[in-house]
Amino acid sequence: MALKALDIYKLLPKKNCKECGDPTCLTFAMKLAGGKADVELCPYLSDEAKSVLGASTRPPIRLIRVGMGERFFKVGEETVLYRHEKTFYHPPGIVFRVSDTQAPAEIAAVTRRVRDETFTRVGTDLRFSGIAIENTSGSAKTFAKAVATVEQEQAHLPPVLIAKDPAAHAAALVHCGSYRPLLHAATGENFKEMCALAKKYGCPLVIRAATPDGLARMVKDCTAEGVQDLVLDPAPENLGAFLTRSTQIRQLAITRLVPELGYPVYLDATATGQQDAAVALGIVKYASVIVTDPLSPGATKASLTLRQNIYTDPQKPIQMNPGLYRVGTPDKDAPVLMTVNFSLTFFTLQGYLESTRIPCFMLIVDTEGLSVLTAVAAGKLSEMLVRDSIKKFGVEDEVTHRKLIIPGYASPLSGRIEDATGWKVLVGPRDAAEIGEFLHEEWKK
Amino acid sequence: MRTVTFLPSYRKIDVERGTTVLDAAQRAGLSMNVVCGGLGKCGKCIVYIQSGRVDFDRQKYGRFFTEAELQKGACLACETTIQGDLHVVVPESTLIQEQKILVEGLDQEIDFRPSVKKYYVQLQPPSLADPSPDLSRLLWGIQKSGGPVAEKMYVPLEVLREMPGILRHSDWNVTATIGLVPGGYRVIDLQENDTSKRVYGAAVDLGSTTVVVYLWDLVTGKVVCVASNYNKQISCGEDILARVNFARKNGLVKLQALAAESINQALTTASNTAGIDREDIYEVVVAGNTVMTHMLLGIDPAYMIAEPYVPVVRRALSIAASRLGIACNPNGGVFAFPAVSDFIGGDIIADILACGMGEREEISLLVDIGTNFEVVLGNKEWMFSCAGAAGPALEGGEVLFGMRANPGAIEKIAIDPVTLDPKYSTINGIRPRGICGSGLIDLLAELLIACVIDRTGRINMEINNPRIRRNAHFPEYVIAWAKETDIGKDIVITENDIKNLIMSKASVHAACLSLMKEAGVTHNEISTIYFAGAFGNYLDKKNATIIGLIPEIAIDQIINIGNGAVAGANIALINRRARKTLDDIAYKIAYIELNAEKSFMDEYTGSTFLPHTDLTLFPGVQKLLESCRTRRE
Amino acid sequence: MAFDMNFGWTSTIGEVVLGATNADGGTRRRSYRIGGGTTLPFMEDRAGSPSPLIALEICDYLPFWPPIVTNYCGDLVNNVGEWAKAADGTYGADLIRLYLTSTRQRNFSDIASLGKVVEDVLAASSLPLIIEGSNEPKIDSEVFQKCGEVAQGERLLLGTAEAGKYRSIAAAALAYNHSIIAQSPIDINLAKQLNILLKEIGVQRDHIVIDPYTGALGYGFEYSYSAMERIRFSALKGDTDLAMPMVCSAIDSLTIKEVREAEPAVQDEMAIQWEFYTGIAAATAGAEIICVRHPGTIPLLRKAFTDMKKPGTAAEVR
Ligand code: SF4
Ligand code: FES
Repeated sequence: MALKALDIYKLLPKKNCKECGDPTCLTFAMKLAGGKADVELCPYLSDEAKSVLGASTRPPIRLIRVGMGERFFKVGEETVLYRHEKTFYHPPGIVFRVSDTQAPAEIAAVTRRVRDETFTRVGTDLRFSGIAIENTSGSAKTFAKAVATVEQEQAHLPPVLIAKDPAAHAAALVHCGSYRPLLHAATGENFKEMCALAKKYGCPLVIRAATPDGLARMVKDCTAEGVQDLVLDPAPENLGAFLTRSTQIRQLAITRLVPELGYPVYLDATATGQQDAAVALGIVKYASVIVTDPLSPGATKASLTLRQNIYTDPQKPIQMNPGLYRVGTPDKDAPVLMTVNFSLTFFTLQGYLESTRIPCFMLIVDTEGLSVLTAVAAGKLSEMLVRDSIKKFGVEDEVTHRKLIIPGYASPLSGRIEDATGWKVLVGPRDAAEIGEFLHEEWKK
Repeated sequence: MRTVTFLPSYRKIDVERGTTVLDAAQRAGLSMNVVCGGLGKCGKCIVYIQSGRVDFDRQKYGRFFTEAELQKGACLACETTIQGDLHVVVPESTLIQEQKILVEGLDQEIDFRPSVKKYYVQLQPPSLADPSPDLSRLLWGIQKSGGPVAEKMYVPLEVLREMPGILRHSDWNVTATIGLVPGGYRVIDLQENDTSKRVYGAAVDLGSTTVVVYLWDLVTGKVVCVASNYNKQISCGEDILARVNFARKNGLVKLQALAAESINQALTTASNTAGIDREDIYEVVVAGNTVMTHMLLGIDPAYMIAEPYVPVVRRALSIAASRLGIACNPNGGVFAFPAVSDFIGGDIIADILACGMGEREEISLLVDIGTNFEVVLGNKEWMFSCAGAAGPALEGGEVLFGMRANPGAIEKIAIDPVTLDPKYSTINGIRPRGICGSGLIDLLAELLIACVIDRTGRINMEINNPRIRRNAHFPEYVIAWAKETDIGKDIVITENDIKNLIMSKASVHAACLSLMKEAGVTHNEISTIYFAGAFGNYLDKKNATIIGLIPEIAIDQIINIGNGAVAGANIALINRRARKTLDDIAYKIAYIELNAEKSFMDEYTGSTFLPHTDLTLFPGVQKLLESCRTRRE
Repeated sequence: MAFDMNFGWTSTIGEVVLGATNADGGTRRRSYRIGGGTTLPFMEDRAGSPSPLIALEICDYLPFWPPIVTNYCGDLVNNVGEWAKAADGTYGADLIRLYLTSTRQRNFSDIASLGKVVEDVLAASSLPLIIEGSNEPKIDSEVFQKCGEVAQGERLLLGTAEAGKYRSIAAAALAYNHSIIAQSPIDINLAKQLNILLKEIGVQRDHIVIDPYTGALGYGFEYSYSAMERIRFSALKGDTDLAMPMVCSAIDSLTIKEVREAEPAVQDEMAIQWEFYTGIAAATAGAEIICVRHPGTIPLLRKAFTDMKKPGTAAEVR
């Protein structure tokens, strides 16, 4: 549980000496509570206070890095069970699986797909994260060859090596050991050898056990062997098992009840027999590495979008992407209504506009999610912003007229907007509910 | 030389043998009760000689003492001469008692300890036998008549230049005005003859709309006049932002002058009404919001209203009045309250001073509502503050028939739950012209209780009553029919008005909750809520709780302090100790930027409900509303 | 040692009955009791805890409906009764959600025709029914009265009450004993406020289903997801004003760019996956009725939900 500023303040020396860089102990406490300062900055803290404060600021789940080069990914360092409590920080790596029994051409094709495929949403390139090579053949040599095939594509993708036999791993690591692959998996029988390999190549290691206490025991064993970078595979045989175990691990880790479980979770989506469902579930329920067979076009976009959605910061005000939105199929004479990108404003206005059945454009400008009233007050909504937005979203090409309807609460800006844009400004109603009437009366004139 | 030690303060002073104890005490800086002027007639200057030799006629003055007192060595300080080294006990009752006075609008008694004081001194003219210079002669004289120790007084050049003339012209009978300044005292003024009864000071609330002045007689500790007028800066912009922009375009000099003029006008009105000379006003204490204070001081506020919103100064300032163009005694001083941030200014510090929340162990919540609102939560150890825009609804703006608290404004309303007919009263009792803030709060609460509106403020159109109807855009409730009003129109409140009011109250309440959350304090831990601001005086506390403007606590723990800015300025004017705490208060307050506070939006939507979405925060209101609803059904 | 999963829940989700069989005075072949949850979705200990229900959305006036669906279903959609029958039979939905989109035409006033539509659908399928009425204050009251009356005894779920319009729908629901969908725009506070408003005019808790409004995946879905999680969380922590089952309907899913502009060959798959990923995530967050428009999504969701309910056996690892 995060400490409140005042609780922290009570632990501080109250000298108000400014040595921490803050004017008073109280402001320093506020920064600590918000995670914006380091306890070490106060030279007068008692050891006791330090340990209380330190424990609550250290992330309960270890940060693990998989892969090298520009496509490496980091997972872990999560702090909450629900994203609304703070945010989820590190999106799971979604890794496509190939088998060493597949033809080299197929393996290469999957590798190239992961290397090249991007899907751009709201200005971000979404991609899959890496390649998992599974030792289905049982032969270390074949395994090593498949790994070499992947490496030949020069993709520098984070690899995941899946084999039961440490010897197979050893053979494969000769080819990709320097890429910091994730090794799957250490079990009760092989963990000594697997740990030795992980240590030798500096790789993160997946440990596999079906119960949280089994995992916790193995974490102790592996850390005793000197491997710190661990990932937990709760070996789910169906979706329900994954959901239960993953939730359990996350909860025990976050609450620090079982610190041994403070590692990211691995999910083999193929093992459940319901790959797409498993991927979706893994994304929302705490998986950090998801291994799946190559996904269909629909599942590709849906999964990458879901991952992007779930891993955005929920504490930002609900924002729409700024831009020119259409209601119905507006033509060149259709009205243009400007408003802010606070999503409730957007949805409300959109709803009322739809019910007017007058096709129109909504010009959504970026007020960082502030509502009209607050944006005007805070100076976030300005004539410059409106002018730039009209340019940026090409509004002048969409309509032949030059009339802009602005929200009632933005009326103080009307003159300035006219000056800055050269458009005629009509001040709309303050309440979106009246927009229909407004359009019927004012616009039709 | 004899050494006299005064107890219990252990002040020591060396004096000639034969000096009176009273003299010695005054030189040591003790202010003794000398009602008869040291003539041995009043018997007020009682001290006890603990050890040492004195000359005192017990027989002659025996009537002033009981036997027991005499046993303890009681004598009259003015009639006792020092013979040897002494230890003298000065009882509490002999020291000058501070006057208790009541500042308007406050139940708090403030010690009367002004920082300006006049001393009438009759000096011996210099002679060959006593050739000490004019200055030391004067300072000694002041010290002797109970003023500060000579070495601690500083005399500015302006006074020095005039001093020789005044001394001689007045035949060495002069009145010196002494002001407390950091590190000592300053001889502010020197006048001929006895003017010691003419010391005045002014406490000023420098608001962006109005300027209020309380003129005090600093001798008697009484308010002699109150005056107010509009802030003349309005000509450069209605709101603060417009004025900052005006200042940016090289208008700062003008704004500074207008601020000073506005104060001067009020000072003039007040002094004329009271029949005093403005020259006798020696001190002006100003509490204003941060921007106003900056402008009065001629400091550019532009940098402060943009991120990261830091004010130029965060402590109190004393400035010579002449440098600011304030029309009081030219050597008089202006004391400006400190500011914390762009929003938490001197006016809020003044609120805090006025309500005394910074001196108590218990946690208080201070809410100051205007177009902007400020909220402070804390106690003597810590304080959190925040501010935001409430929108003008609570002041009557953005409401169809809203108005300021001027004559004709409906300020109180009750609605009959059966007939839905309202009973209202207006300011000055004339026919209604509109509704002011306190009326709107009553209205909202009464409409809710009468089930005319639901908890989101929507009017129940299924009610069949002529007062409930729909206008072109919105449902509305008729408060006064055209024939009852002064404006010839029905006075109504629309659903949209109600929505604006709820939005305003929600911002205020959400700010309170944000601070409480930051501090980890629940409403049960709040001992007192202080209301300040324009409509604080008339606000119905119960209704303010019913609509959820403020957290629910016991009604008698909610206190209106009204214009806290002027109350605080009054206190700082008449009590110099209080003034010293201001910087401390300003320093202690942590400011929370609500825009940066992610949870604020959440608290806000939670607060857009009457009284609040979380009804467990309002158990009393919840019970009340339930009983109202069942009664209706 | 085994670790306990203790989330500190103190309360349970209230139950709502959808549909009425003969025995209960209706004509449905079955009814559902949703809600009753005591912990996070799919983590109930008790056997027989219900899976989320899958509702297929259909409508009585096509111009406002995504063409992907009408293309996929073919002629069928021209007859709302046939459509309902297919939903029940071919497509295998648990529920039918009928949108009276005809009411959204400008100056619509043919209330009588709506009664006929509802009758047809009730006759064509014996699944419990959700009805979405009008969006126009002027006719709301009549529309809801009509639906309520025609389907009296069937325990409909009537949609949609909002903070700005809840009285007419509540009146119809109270008069004919139906339940209500209470929709608020992606905000736990607003959801709670509406429930309180409904309670205060006499709608019982066991007649309310919360619709926190679902933004399409990629278009604000994350806010809906968190709103649902928070509502469920608060309910389990004892907030009775939020302890109702939730419905998720990402009505924009099939009109967003990714689906609308997909290659024709993969368009159906795109639509299905979009609804499917949304449905899985929403069910995990606590939705107990998942509404879809593409029939192809139904079997996928059903299979997944069945599997999600299976407890892990915690067998030793191979
Ligand atoms: S360094 Fe420590 S004692 Fe000094 S002000 Fe900062 S928190 Fe307070
Ligand atoms: S001063 Fe009056 S008796 Fe001493």
